[in-house]
Amino acid sequence: MEASPRVLGKASKIISLALPKGTEKLCELCQKTAHLQCTKCRVTFYCDAEHQQADWVGIHERICQMLVTIRSPTVLSLQQAGCIQSQLVKAELIEMCRLVAQSKLSEGKHQEALPAAQFCLRCSKDVHGPRSVQMVPAYLLLAEANMGMGNLAWAAELLSQAEWAALKSSDHMVHQRLHRCLGRLHTTTGNLEAALFNFANDIYFASEEYGLDSTVTRGGYFLMANVYAKLGRLPIVRSFYSEVAQTWHCHLTKLLNTHVQNVQSPYTEMEPYDEAQRVEVDEMLRTMLEFEQNDSRKDSAQIALVAHCLAILWFLAGDSLKALGFGNTALQASQLIPNHDLTEPIQGLLQLLHTAR
Amino acid sequence: MKSVVKQRQHFGSFLPEIPSRNDEGKKSTQHSRRKQQKEFLPPGPHQSAEALSKAEISLFRNSLKQNICVELLQQGFHRSFSELFLLLRSDQQRRAEEEFESDELPLEQQWDKMETLRRHLSRAEQAENTCSWTVTGSRGGRSRPATEARACLAEVYLQLGDLQAARQQADQCLQQAEGEGWVDSSGQPLRLRALRALSSVYSRLADAPLEAEDHSEALRLLHRGHSIAAEAEDKKLEFDTLFRLGLTYQSAGDHDTAKQLFNTCMQICGSLHDAEGLGKSYKALSKSIESEGNTQETLECLEKLVDISRDNGLKRNLADAFICLGNTYFTMREYSRASEFFLQGYEVSCELGDVALLQKAQVLVGTSRARSLFGKFSADVESCSPAALKRLILWKDTRGRQEVGSDSTGSDAAAAWF
Repeated sequence: MEASPRVLGKASKIISLALPKGTEKLCELCQKTAHLQCTKCRVTFYCDAEHQQADWVGIHERICQMLVTIRSPTVLSLQQAGCIQSQLVKAELIEMCRLVAQSKLSEGKHQEALPAAQFCLRCSKDVHGPRSVQMVPAYLLLAEANMGMGNLAWAAELLSQAEWAALKSSDHMVHQRLHRCLGRLHTTTGNLEAALFNFANDIYFASEEYGLDSTVTRGGYFLMANVYAKLGRLPIVRSFYSEVAQTWHCHLTKLLNTHVQNVQSPYTEMEPYDEAQRVEVDEMLRTMLEFEQNDSRKDSAQIALVAHCLAILWFLAGDSLKALGFGNTALQASQLIPNHDLTEPIQGLLQLLHTAR
Repeated sequence: MKSVVKQRQHFGSFLPEIPSRNDEGKKSTQHSRRKQQKEFLPPGPHQSAEALSKAEISLFRNSLKQNICVELLQQGFHRSFSELFLLLRSDQQRRAEEEFESDELPLEQQWDKMETLRRHLSRAEQAENTCSWTVTGSRGGRSRPATEARACLAEVYLQLGDLQAARQQADQCLQQAEGEGWVDSSGQPLRLRALRALSSVYSRLADAPLEAEDHSEALRLLHRGHSIAAEAEDKKLEFDTLFRLGLTYQSAGDHDTAKQLFNTCMQICGSLHDAEGLGKSYKALSKSIESEGNTQETLECLEKLVDISRDNGLKRNLADAFICLGNTYFTMREYSRASEFFLQGYEVSCELGDVALLQKAQVLVGTSRARSLFGKFSADVESCSPAALKRLILWKDTRGRQEVGSDSTGSDAAAAWF
């Protein structure tokens, strides 16, 4: 990171005389007295260079110019049309920050996600009011970032605020995400019973919102199975994992089929997943594969299923080396069972890989 | 744990009463909902004794559907969850498609149906999981779940009647559980569970030699079963095995040992407050005494049986006891007393409404009455001399209709006798 020749924005000392009197400027990140300001927008302030750079990498690079419109008071902004205009910009900002924070989180860059999540929260508070349901996603992002960095107490505090805000809402999606976050927190703190309770709620709301067989619901299954694994209840873990693997297998096979058709007919190729999502799915499937391989029962059907999933995933991502590796694992496992109905699709995939090379 | 339970009972007063003027009905439904859901609380200990846990709060806040789904998932029954969820969804769709609003509540609001569904689904899934453990068990696993699976298997084999397989599983389970102090999912020690299964296996194994009248083999098996039952610390099981042992000694003709065993049975029943078992023991004991020929003791024993049965309202035992008493008096040739007891037995069996027993008692009453009636002429019937025959004919000619007992059954039976 440090070695990269990236320009991390420019900051200059605040010139007090250039600003209206009586307004003390606070740091964008830590809310202490500021000494620097961004030279590009001139409406964002920092206590030191470190915070300026962190914010620049985190979010400021993308929203620098948008901040000018909402932060600098003009004649227009005092009129009603101006107000509406700035509200719209803020809504856009919230959405943008949310996406940025989300993608940074899934990439595992918790520290970098922090500024975006924080700004998202502040902006949501401005637009929707401090106790509204719309605050919940921002709280969750911030909590997740803190959890990743190990600030569990602060994450718990944020989540209880989110719970309070979500109390009035009957939106299944909000509750689902909240419960998943809480479940994660309890898993890390070791309160496994509470984690099970939250994940169970997560699965319930996800089924209500997305349906039983959706990948979101299965994500809850996977997390819950991990808690059961910590509790040592292996039969339950096995049955949960097999459920997850089956759904993903169905899903990926469908994607593979459309992909193959798209290659044959000259349509534009569609990318089913972005990088972050792929990393997440890959990690999940890999955990399940490892579990099955280390299990005393060595269920070859299950190993074949999960390895096939991974092979398809990497084939779709264009990494034929990895796909080949997993494909071979799947083939070996499936050949242990006579007349296994997965053998044929696996061989088909391997053939596809060889012709592509 | 006890304090938690107590605390929970106090929650009624702990929650502030909301003064209500117009929504009396609403309050009561909320109250009943809380009561329903209290029964529905998972039995495990809750972390906080001083405040409601989050899970408990959600029981009051959330819908019944959500609570049941969450509970199923928390116990790891995800197949039950998806079944229930799909069922509820299809019920919703069906109701949405219906043109007329039906009076019936939606399924997800019918607490009893939902609860029944939950119970059966989770039991089915539990059973399925146990069956899939069979594979683990047969591969010789030595872990706690594998051992528990063996205990389950032993019980299943016992139910199916495959005694050798049951014995094998129970033996292995016992070996593995030895000294480990494992408990099963309901908290019972696995070792005792295996012992119980093993004891039942031995006592069932004794059936075959008993049928073939091979008493020594049956006794060997039953003794084994008894010592295991004693080790399993299960009094009821110990009683069962002892009682069977007693019966076997009885049929082998060793009445002294049988009597001792029945006495021990009675002691166990006394400590268990098991009147039924006590009655059973007394009846068996009286049979043993009777076959030794000690009528006086038999009568005492039977009278005790009558007392016990009457005190505990065991009508069938009471009827049996009366008939046994009658039989004893009958063999002692005290026909009038015998008929009294038979009559009492008849009355009790009338109350019971058992036709077979009732008819048996009727016949017995009749026989004994007839016997008491011509008691003085019976010697003449047996002697077959011409003088005796003449006396009988004379009696036949002179006896009036009125001398015959008022009971018509009695007269019929007496007529049949001639």
